Amino acid sequence: MTLSLALEARDLSQLPSRRDEDWRWTDLRGLIRELPAPSPEVSADLSPGPFGDEGQAELLVVNGRVWGDVGLLTLAEGEARVVRLRFVSATAATGHGIKLAVSLAPGAHLTLLESYEGQAPDYLADAALNVRLETGARLERIVLASDHAEGVSVSTASVSLAPGAGFAQTVLTDGARRQRLETRVEHPGQSAAVRMDGAYLIADRRHADLTTAVNHAGTDGTTDQLVKGVVADQGRGVFQGRITVSPGADRTDARMGHHALLLSDRAEVNAKPELLIFADDVACAHGNTVGALDEDALFYAQQRGIPEAEARAMLTEAFIGEVIDRIVHDGAREVARAWAAKRRVG
Amino acid sequence: MPAVKKTVDSVEALERYQHGFITSVDQEFAPKGLSADIVRFISAKKQEPEWMLEWRLAAYERWLAMDEPDWAKVNYPRIDYQDSYYYAAPKEKIGPMSLDEVDPEILATYAKLGIPLREQEVLAGVQGAPKYAVDAVFDSVSVVTTFKKELAAVGVIFCSFSEAVREHPELVKKYLGTVVPASDNYFACLNSAVFSDGSFVYVPPGVRCPMELSTYFRINAAESGQFERTLIIADEGAYVSYLEGCTAPMRDENQLHAAVVELVTLDDAEIKYSTVQNWYPGDPETGKGGIYNFVTKRADCRGDRSKVSWTQVETGSAITWKYPSCVLRGKDSVGEFYSIAITNGRQQADTGTKMIHLGEGTRSRIISKGISAGRSSNTYRGLVSAHPKAKGARNFTQCDSLLIGKTCAAHTVPYIEARNGQSVFEHEATTTRLSDDQLFYVMQRGLSQEEAVQLLVNGFVKDVLQELPMEFAVEAQKLVAISLEGSVG
Repeated sequence: MTLSLALEARDLSQLPSRRDEDWRWTDLRGLIRELPAPSPEVSADLSPGPFGDEGQAELLVVNGRVWGDVGLLTLAEGEARVVRLRFVSATAATGHGIKLAVSLAPGAHLTLLESYEGQAPDYLADAALNVRLETGARLERIVLASDHAEGVSVSTASVSLAPGAGFAQTVLTDGARRQRLETRVEHPGQSAAVRMDGAYLIADRRHADLTTAVNHAGTDGTTDQLVKGVVADQGRGVFQGRITVSPGADRTDARMGHHALLLSDRAEVNAKPELLIFADDVACAHGNTVGALDEDALFYAQQRGIPEAEARAMLTEAFIGEVIDRIVHDGAREVARAWAAKRRVG
Repeated sequence: MPAVKKTVDSVEALERYQHGFITSVDQEFAPKGLSADIVRFISAKKQEPEWMLEWRLAAYERWLAMDEPDWAKVNYPRIDYQDSYYYAAPKEKIGPMSLDEVDPEILATYAKLGIPLREQEVLAGVQGAPKYAVDAVFDSVSVVTTFKKELAAVGVIFCSFSEAVREHPELVKKYLGTVVPASDNYFACLNSAVFSDGSFVYVPPGVRCPMELSTYFRINAAESGQFERTLIIADEGAYVSYLEGCTAPMRDENQLHAAVVELVTLDDAEIKYSTVQNWYPGDPETGKGGIYNFVTKRADCRGDRSKVSWTQVETGSAITWKYPSCVLRGKDSVGEFYSIAITNGRQQADTGTKMIHLGEGTRSRIISKGISAGRSSNTYRGLVSAHPKAKGARNFTQCDSLLIGKTCAAHTVPYIEARNGQSVFEHEATTTRLSDDQLFYVMQRGLSQEEAVQLLVNGFVKDVLQELPMEFAVEAQKLVAISLEGSVG
């Protein structure tokens, strides 16, 4: 059951619903009453995306159609590149899906500046990325989702790593009418390293769902995850993180943290940090906290003459800042910082 | 050399499941299988009033329309609900009886299990040892309840469920099914239709129950299930501590235990509910036999400032599937859950709790320690939720898992749902194995590997053990050792 199946088959019953355990907090079947018409082809003549002109090249996907060279996502041995990958939903009340492959040969290094841009309301958008990293390849993926408040969007990345590869990602979102950003990683262990961070800043009645699943299949793998969120108004944040350690994946070191701030009485956060462990020589831990802004910190700031609204903004920005500081690409980190400052909620 | 003797004894005691013997008593069975007629049969056997029968039949109707759930991380062949006895009782007269009337075989059984059924026996130990009253449930009936008079003197009702239906129908009618409705889930619904015996406790306003109450459940009959029902009500300002223990013989077949426990606390009341679950876990090598323990336990903290504390030590059962929960409805009410779940051999456990914060200022605390060894699988599954009205709700959860051996599994699946901005939820979980350094340190000081593991495991579960009433803490500590026997080396 996926949105992409429903769009392809034009069959509503293929939509995931709250009865599917992995979609319990992001119900699509209850939300979507009829499938919209397929999105039309529109010109790719667009203003710059959220990453501006960072990096060397841009691959544009508008309404599910690729404009540009998909070869940008295939890196030869030892090649290094910074690519902007933009998914744009340009037409109201239509639906579209796209599947792309990202392939890194041994030792290649890609920085992917990925953005989801909603320019009209009521769209249904699905994007699937299939990522393969060979030995020693490295991918840093920074996702900035700026969907329309009335858009519905699902993005799924399936990542498989060869031994010694490195995958790091940071997903930043301010939600949509319903939005799911999902990453699945096949982790071979053997010194491959994974970092999977995320931050959500949600206001109004928006919804964002950050779902991740990492399967450690071999020995000596590490996974480090930090996801933070701030939810105001009637927003809803969802975090589902699953770390599986398969039999024999000894000396796995996996750590997951999810921390959320609720800034209003009607805000909602749902979290399910899961550890499934089938090997004994492991160190796995997760921490999860949900709460309000620290009153003491707020008081401290106000006492020093900072108005309450300003103090709140500072504190939430600092809270999210911890995730943003971990972005390696300098330009992307600055874009992310500006994004967080602009989207102060609460 | 008493020390050596003691070691030999304890090693022998560790050999295997100690409560696996079978008592041969004349038993009476309902015909095999499940139908509306069987429900009527059980109700008639218990001389129940019409309303109780109606309630059972309504539950049976609903059950027929329900599907068996399959979301837990446990695997077992489909249960044939028609291939089991739903009523098995020693051939005796129904209803309360004096100890002299109880079959000596049954008395011997409880003596062997170390459960004091004679009131003077309780006092026979150390001077000043605390008393505790026992309700002994043997298959489908309660055979004896001790200290009833002494408890009645302070207004505490402690009796078997069947007796409560007959003697206190107004209380049963008022509270039965209000915490766990018949339609709650598949197994609770089955229980509502065919429940046999269990305990009923009512503590009147302002009374602090003068002794620990306990129920000891024993499955004895073959090819039967046990479906007990327990209802405990602590009226305003009352306090009661209740203990529950259970064992079963070793058999090659799987037996179903689907109980329902309902707790109700009114204003300022407190219930402390402790379980030491040691049903037969099945053969550790082949996984043959053992109890399916599919239990629904829930507390409704209706009153303001009321409190319920669940403590469980889960060492037995082939499959455990249970989530003792607290619905924190009253303002400033408190829920606690302390759990040790140990799986060894081929056992599977999917257990945890639900803390549902509905009222303002409600607080909850969850400490769960899971230990898996052998080829077993141990899952903590828990829900903490705060309703928009639960302003100032607080939860702290700590789930630690310990793995012993390469072939076992430990899972942590917490669900957190916060729906207001004034609640604070904290959750932390770790999964590790026994540290080589610690083992080395302890063994260096002269302990064997087995003893060293026991010492470290006891340290690991200490936070929960200290929540148990003293009588149980000692037993639980021994159980921890027994359950892990053969898990290292």
